[in-house]
Amino acid sequence: MENRVRELREKHGWSQGELGERLDVSRQTINAIETGKYDPSLPLAFKIARLFGSRIETIFDPGK
Amino acid sequence: MARFSDKRYNMHVLLIMAVYVLLVFFEWPHVKTVADSVLKIVLALVPALPVVGVIVLMGARVLRSDELQQRLHLIALGAATGLVAALSVVFSFLCAAHVLNLAAEDVLFWIFPALCLTYGLTRIALTRRYGGTAC
Repeated sequence: MENRVRELREKHGWSQGELGERLDVSRQTINAIETGKYDPSLPLAFKIARLFGSRIETIFDPGK
Repeated sequence: MARFSDKRYNMHVLLIMAVYVLLVFFEWPHVKTVADSVLKIVLALVPALPVVGVIVLMGARVLRSDELQQRLHLIALGAATGLVAALSVVFSFLCAAHVLNLAAEDVLFWIFPALCLTYGLTRIALTRRYGGTAC
């Protein structure tokens, strides 16, 4: 699944660690989400969307 | 629930294992010389307490992890359990066929370290795969 987490994080000027703290997850989890190695659960995806003030489908794209 | 930092967790485990080593070296040798059976049972079980403590600590760490870390812990634990179970079946058959002559207590002592070793190695491999730093 593709996502815009890295783009949005960099737009806010946050490090992976800072974003992890805001979402209460580890820096490793943020890194794994950004690189597409791990797809977050629905609650975490909603948390990310809420933090960036966006709709979930504008951040995460399941592709074809 | 606040997450366990690796540093804090490692410090707790090191402290508990230091107690375990002290017990094994200084308390355990006296168990065989004690005549009273109740005292013997108590002294024999004392070194098991730090090991149980580490298991409780491991459980607390998994519970306080985030969703990816929990997934990695559980995959590593599953792999470790599967490997140790497979090895125990293989060694059991070899012993039953008298190909190997192993004392039961020697084999039982190695189950937990084997589980920890396999769990640790799998966890390191998974952590690297998901872009984290091992340890």
